[in-house]
Amino acid sequence: MPFIKRGASTPVTESKPGEATAPHIAALSSPDAEMRWGAARALGGVAAAVPVLAAALDGEQNPRVREAIMTALMRIGDEASVRTLLPYLRSQDARQRSAAIETLQALPGAVEPFVAALLGDADTDVRLLATELARNMPPKHATLVLCDLLKKESHPNVCAAAVEVLAEVGTRDALPTLKACAERFANVPFLPFAIEATIARISSTES
Amino acid sequence: MTEVEMPVANTKTRILIVDDSSLVRLYCRDILEKAGLEVEQAINGIEAMEKVLTQTFDLVIVDVNMPRMDGFSFIRALRNNVADVSTLPALVITTEAGSQDRDEARSAGANFYLVKPLSEFDLLRHVAVLTGAPR
Repeated sequence: MPFIKRGASTPVTESKPGEATAPHIAALSSPDAEMRWGAARALGGVAAAVPVLAAALDGEQNPRVREAIMTALMRIGDEASVRTLLPYLRSQDARQRSAAIETLQALPGAVEPFVAALLGDADTDVRLLATELARNMPPKHATLVLCDLLKKESHPNVCAAAVEVLAEVGTRDALPTLKACAERFANVPFLPFAIEATIARISSTES
Repeated sequence: MTEVEMPVANTKTRILIVDDSSLVRLYCRDILEKAGLEVEQAINGIEAMEKVLTQTFDLVIVDVNMPRMDGFSFIRALRNNVADVSTLPALVITTEAGSQDRDEARSAGANFYLVKPLSEFDLLRHVAVLTGAPR
């Protein structure tokens, strides 16, 4: 899993791999995992390296090297990096999903244009994970997108994930939608319980 | 609510809930404490490992998707531990209903696998089974 300091990433504007980066690009396909790890770390500041990092991530089996590649993509933090990471939200591997969501969470600005589409994805698991991407948005915007989701979402686990995020970042604007959701899912005991706790939290922090 | 025979004979049963969701931890704790059980919490696999190595538990209830150390990695680390905790029963709770996740839970060493959203009945029933309480 990538080691990420939230807010610490600075998108890099370097667009062309120079002579200095060429050896690192070559080293990404080395049979030596330590070489690949070092190469991924060295390419963290090179926007033009996203395609080779993406290709390397696709075939990489070593968890430590995968982590370094994801961290490199996070450090680049542009749209291409986000597009590289998004497919891993659909991974069957729980570790890959967790790593991808943590990396994407560190890039709230770059991810924001994709959030609405992800929250409307046909795949329940993708919608569920996408709620986490709202966590680092400005509270009013996060409340808006998550309430839009809650109004139409039919899967209780997706609603539960959205409620969890609202409990942390939601504003009072969410209260009517939360109450309606609790009524709609009265037969799923966890949701009314979680929503009651969330309403109490929002009310106490915003009063 | 369905009537559930509580594991009342084992009121000293200690359960560790491992989930990054504070609401899930709150919900489970509420149900288990009302049933007379003692509950401790952890927010990821690393914190959970620290607790199982320093405290005594009868069961660990663990989520799959968590930051820092996911549930499967935690259970594998638990099973590979040379200390007494390697046989601690582990109940996985997850939103993933896919067969691959079930297979991975089994291969990691989980004793059982429950799909969210959790019901009080299912939670108490599996806690009773895995802690050997009368039911």
